[in-house]
Amino acid sequence: MADGAVSLECPKELQRVPLVGNERKFPWITQTVSEIVEGRTPIWWWVFFLPLAALALVGLLCIGYQISNGVGVWGENHPNGWAWDITNFVFWIGIGHAGTLISAILFLTRQKWRTSINRASEAMTLFAVMCAAIFPGIHVGRVWMAWFLAPIPNANAIWPNFRSPLLWDVFAVSTYFTVSVLFWYTGLVPDLATLRDRAKSRVTQFIYGILALGWRGSNRHWRHYEMAYLILAGLSTPLVLSVHSIVSFDFATSIVPGWHTTIFPPYFVAGAIFGGFAMVLTILLPARIVYPKLDDLITRNHVDKMAKIILLTGSIVGYAYLMELFIAWYGVNPYERAAFWNRAFGWYGWTYFAMMFCNVISPQIFWSKRMRNNYVVVFIVCQFVNCGMWFERFVIIVTSLAQDFLPSSWGHYSPSWVEIWTFAGTFGIFLSLFLLFMRFLPMIAMSEVKIVVPEADPHHKPGAAH
Amino acid sequence: MKRIVNHPMEEAGGRKYWRSLGQLGDTPEYRGWLEREFPQGASELSGGEVSRRAFLRLMGASSALAGLSLAACRRPEKHLVAFTRGVEWSIPGKALFYATSMPTRKGHTPLIAQTHDGRPTKIEGNPLHAVSGGATGLFEQASILDLYDPDRAREFKHAGKVATAEAFEKAIDAIVGKAGDGAGLAFLLEDSASPTRERLRGLIASKFPKAMWAVYEPLGNTAAAEAAKAAFGAEVLVRPDFSKADVVLSLDCDFLGIDSQTDQARAYAKRRSVDGGNKMNRLYVVENRFTVTGGMADHRLRAQASQVGAVALQLAGEIARLTGDVALNSIVNAAPKTGTQFPADWIKECAADLAGKKGASLVLVGERQRPAVQALGYAINAALGNLGKTLSGAKPFNKPAATIVELAKALGDKAVKTLVIVGSNPAYNAPADIDFAAKAKNAETVVRLGDDEDETAPLATWHAPMAHYLEAWGDGRAADGSYLSVQPMILPLFGGWSEIDLLAKFAALPKPKGAELVQETFTKLSGTKDVATDWPKFLYYGFLTGSAAGAAPLTLNADAVAKLAAEKLSLPAPDAESFEVVLVSDASVDDGRYANNGWVQEFPDPVSKLTWDNAAWISPKSAKKLGLENGDVIEVSVSGAKIEIPVLIVPGSADNSLTIALGYGRTAAGRVGSVAATTERYVFGDDVLSGGFNAYPLATSAEPYIRIGAKVRSVGRSYLLAVTQEHGSLEGRGGDLVREGTLKQYTENPKFSEKFGMDAHIPENRSLYAHPPLNDIHQWGMTVDLNACTGCGVCMVACQAENNIPIVGKRQVIDGREMHWIRADRYFASGPNADGKYDQDMDEPEMVSQPMMCQHCENAPCETVCPVNATVHSEDGLNVMAYNRCIGTRYCANNCPFKVRRFNFFDYNERQLTELRKWNLISDRGMEDTLKMSKNPNVTVRMRGVMEKCTFCVQRVQEAKIATKANGRDSANVRIPADSFTSACAQVCPTGAIVFGDIANPESAVAKIRTGPRAYELLKYLNLSTRVLYLTRLRNPNPRMPGAETAAAYSQPKHHGPHGADAKKGGAH
Repeated sequence: MADGAVSLECPKELQRVPLVGNERKFPWITQTVSEIVEGRTPIWWWVFFLPLAALALVGLLCIGYQISNGVGVWGENHPNGWAWDITNFVFWIGIGHAGTLISAILFLTRQKWRTSINRASEAMTLFAVMCAAIFPGIHVGRVWMAWFLAPIPNANAIWPNFRSPLLWDVFAVSTYFTVSVLFWYTGLVPDLATLRDRAKSRVTQFIYGILALGWRGSNRHWRHYEMAYLILAGLSTPLVLSVHSIVSFDFATSIVPGWHTTIFPPYFVAGAIFGGFAMVLTILLPARIVYPKLDDLITRNHVDKMAKIILLTGSIVGYAYLMELFIAWYGVNPYERAAFWNRAFGWYGWTYFAMMFCNVISPQIFWSKRMRNNYVVVFIVCQFVNCGMWFERFVIIVTSLAQDFLPSSWGHYSPSWVEIWTFAGTFGIFLSLFLLFMRFLPMIAMSEVKIVVPEADPHHKPGAAH
Repeated sequence: MKRIVNHPMEEAGGRKYWRSLGQLGDTPEYRGWLEREFPQGASELSGGEVSRRAFLRLMGASSALAGLSLAACRRPEKHLVAFTRGVEWSIPGKALFYATSMPTRKGHTPLIAQTHDGRPTKIEGNPLHAVSGGATGLFEQASILDLYDPDRAREFKHAGKVATAEAFEKAIDAIVGKAGDGAGLAFLLEDSASPTRERLRGLIASKFPKAMWAVYEPLGNTAAAEAAKAAFGAEVLVRPDFSKADVVLSLDCDFLGIDSQTDQARAYAKRRSVDGGNKMNRLYVVENRFTVTGGMADHRLRAQASQVGAVALQLAGEIARLTGDVALNSIVNAAPKTGTQFPADWIKECAADLAGKKGASLVLVGERQRPAVQALGYAINAALGNLGKTLSGAKPFNKPAATIVELAKALGDKAVKTLVIVGSNPAYNAPADIDFAAKAKNAETVVRLGDDEDETAPLATWHAPMAHYLEAWGDGRAADGSYLSVQPMILPLFGGWSEIDLLAKFAALPKPKGAELVQETFTKLSGTKDVATDWPKFLYYGFLTGSAAGAAPLTLNADAVAKLAAEKLSLPAPDAESFEVVLVSDASVDDGRYANNGWVQEFPDPVSKLTWDNAAWISPKSAKKLGLENGDVIEVSVSGAKIEIPVLIVPGSADNSLTIALGYGRTAAGRVGSVAATTERYVFGDDVLSGGFNAYPLATSAEPYIRIGAKVRSVGRSYLLAVTQEHGSLEGRGGDLVREGTLKQYTENPKFSEKFGMDAHIPENRSLYAHPPLNDIHQWGMTVDLNACTGCGVCMVACQAENNIPIVGKRQVIDGREMHWIRADRYFASGPNADGKYDQDMDEPEMVSQPMMCQHCENAPCETVCPVNATVHSEDGLNVMAYNRCIGTRYCANNCPFKVRRFNFFDYNERQLTELRKWNLISDRGMEDTLKMSKNPNVTVRMRGVMEKCTFCVQRVQEAKIATKANGRDSANVRIPADSFTSACAQVCPTGAIVFGDIANPESAVAKIRTGPRAYELLKYLNLSTRVLYLTRLRNPNPRMPGAETAAAYSQPKHHGPHGADAKKGGAH
């Protein structure tokens, strides 16, 4: 250490907040994350899992009931051809955006804080996309004929209609799911090997061994791994933006007033990230309570950053809402004007104001750092955002369809118990799957977190001893 | 002729080939199996005489079953049994058409029945006959379903127990044998225009001179007959002639709606037209609630039905003054003074308009008005010189008969031992004050011939099933008096007897068979010498040429009218607290006789759009005053009689006036029509009742239709009403949807409506996609003339019958899932008042109707969004649906701006409406056998989960194409001759508002109409290029009339003139 008078040390307030708290070392990270999987199943886990699995079962029974009888068991009608089904689809697919955004875009932009949350949010993405995929699957009148959507040459030489946004959806969502699974699994491989190596029973060792694909941690493995991870991140990045853009095309390319809007793609993507981060926080904040040790991995800093993203995307969404209104007015088209008037002051006006409050007003509290660091406030705002994003899709779909061009065909919609329980059931599926994920897979990417602790970077630091 | 089935003999000495061990062993089981080669029921064919009926039933059932049930994982194998011998005239797959006619309570309608393999499937009007002209009313269309109604009376019953037809016949013989001179024998029948029945009545009367012959129609025209008799001194039928009327005033006469005759509606519409040099007529309507006639009016005056007489009197005074008619003046002076005064300028201008068209005007008074009011109407017509010009007389079809009141009295006096009820359902619909059902118990024997085992059936000692008109021989007279045939299309499904079969039994005719009975009447009536030639000709054409009744002269007996007016025209002034109750026939179920017909039950009322129930229509103001909302149940009490019924707020109703349709609240109509029939059971929540409320208890024999002084109170309950159109306002979109203007505007500039609505603003449209060329030589298109459309809605049921459209039940209608491919949208619209404000209460709105079906857009928004290519365009311009390809995403319906696509939310065809929601594995699936027979075999019966919509009757298009190709043989000319066929809706339309055809053929009517000045596209700004064009509706207001300036004002451009080239002319912003 030089004895010069000038210290190269940053002033304390300008120092970067460490990504892992309490200067935790590699073994601690490995132990903390692995013991969640290796330990005995805690009581609380059963307490949550059993009712949620039951709820999932109720949802599946509702789906069975619906498929046996017809879409008529829902509340849909003429003119409301879509309602909760597509609302739920867009809701879940939107939630599925945060994971890949965190993994891919933040990876490419070298946002190192992503490492502690990317595994869980990617898993959440997959489960959300699974829940989302249920709805377009079951909402069709003849589920058993849904394979007509696949572009397979058949005896009648009929192809799907490539002009239809619903078909684009099929491609977009299936591609997204596939790439997300690959990305997630690639990232899991080194951690699975860690679990294999720590396994105490032959069975777990065998299973993790199979899943770890023979990972030995050699340099060559790491080289290939990082290359693959980078490529997959590159592939995923456009998908993050494209999937929800394409989902928005379902509406934007139609001629229904209230749907026929060019602002939809960016607005939907922003909304998806917004809702996705809210759901990540919804899951991780309780996880920190049951596993207090994770405090050092998912720090106040992480929550703060995610709250900022929620504030940003929420404001983008708010801008889009206002711009829609402005364009409806500015465009002078009486049908557009009526559609937006009805959104706010029509039959379902209360949902519009619920959406406005939840999505635009409530996140504004995050301008305050104190509020961002108050976990209770953050959790509550995230719940508002979850509700608000669901309302957003409901508002777009139902208010536009219920009152479109011909006043003679206007008609109210209200959900039936089957729809309500099917939607509840998807929460059961989603959360059960997440609980299973917590029990059986490392919910934090150990190998990646280790890269961002100081121990991984044993180089000269200004002001530090050689 | 039991068939002996043998396996082909083996060649001796050859190798033995066998199909099963059974055959190898030649076991008895195997032999039996061979005989039952078609195991599923077809062996019934081999037992004894094969009845045509049984055979056809099997045919229908097997073909419909094929591939529908889910018996096993693989497709079940079913057998179609072919004709073993060719049947004369029958070409498999080709429909046969027979002329016949349907009895209604207003005379017979000349019809053509379409049959497939011996099953009648569709009814059309007889185009050769003037009364039909190819069109029909609603009930004719729906009568197909009545034929196949599984709830019809199926058995002969004695004291409620099943008996045989032979036993019934014996019982009748015994009654006839013991009847003596007929004392104690009484007949109760429905009104009929059958000369054969009238002939048999004569035979019975000569055999049993003391027998009583009573005729009862709950909605009969006894008041009209009474008025005509008073005014003209003789029994006479008065018929209006709209073709000669320039100005028409309707006083509570719904001559385009419930009181309509097809030919009159057509004649009226023809005079409404502005094409072909016609001078458009003008219509004034005075009524207490909106009717379709009121919707067509140029000027409409709201008045309580009980005050229509006062309007007539005030008008008569004005007309007497204008025409100087002494007779009318004396009648007006003789009549008691009324307390109420109606808008003097309205009456004055109306009277002036009528008086200005002497001999070319027409004043019609509704049949439900008192005889005195109707007679006053005749006097007004006489003063206007209309008698013999726009009004003519004809001899009534039948001699007068006893009334039900007289019959009830005889029953009460125990003077009737044997009561024979034919068809009529007095236990349900007799006036409340005569207590018919209780008195009928005094008769020792009650013989009933009935369609259904209904409310009257429990009274019957003997109950026999009555044959439907499509199952029986008969005859009748059309409204113009011409003689029509009724021939059976199929043997009686349930072995029923026809009316004349039974009466012939009473007349003790040696050969009581329908055909001979009718033939004899025909021979007498036609005076033919050559029955062998003329009889088949009569059946072929369906009517006897030249048999229409000639117009009888009408001479007014002014003194009699004055006397009637003096005695019976007293009209108490209405008071603000009490209500009047107006009982009308229902547009769907008439007097209740069609209650068990699902098509009519689900047919929305043309004005209120209410299905499955009736309700008390009330004006918005009266409802507000009583604090009532739609569906709130009220108790209506009139001098002791009480009913409970929900209210329905209908704009344009008179205040303090309740309009209630009769014919509902049936208790034994069947599964569809009875009250308490739950249309669908919910897992949670209450069962939904349908079937409506019986209003007959409010009718008395003296005042059957209009009761005054009713008290109304809310009972604090509400009832679910299934209305198909939630929203009736145009929301200022008239310019894009329903264009309307005045005759004056049209005369000044025929293209005046070209730039209404968005069309004033839009730039040239461009399409994003390059579309495949529409290069077929035929290009199908349609026009709908809003000026001719009355909104009657017959097209909806014609389409339902043609295209196998299921009904969905009341609960599903409430949920918004009705399946009609064509609907009649009804809007209430009002232009700004003098102060520039709109009439918020909708007290005096205009009513406009718009038939809405798939517009077959060339740039169809539904086609681009379907992910599986299930809806695509054909080269001849049809937007076609491939049901097999459809997976039911409903995206097409969402993107359809007209919302005409219909989704099968449940398996409406294969499940009972009460069991739509059940686990698949335990619910009964499949259609009633008889209902299967009603289906059009050329149209797919759709399963659940697929989208469907108007196809422009593609099956008819294809049939015409095939026929043209077949006729053309090797010639290159495959163009279908212009207007050689049409769609079901266009065919049935009584006013010819809908025209369908080939727009690429300049000869065709539709091609000419499309280029007319009034044609416009709906929502043209969306660049849809719709193949359906609408024609601007015109009103012809009297410029001197108050409110004339706001007529048809709602759809006019409000804020400024058109852009572009026209802007220079003064459309400054």
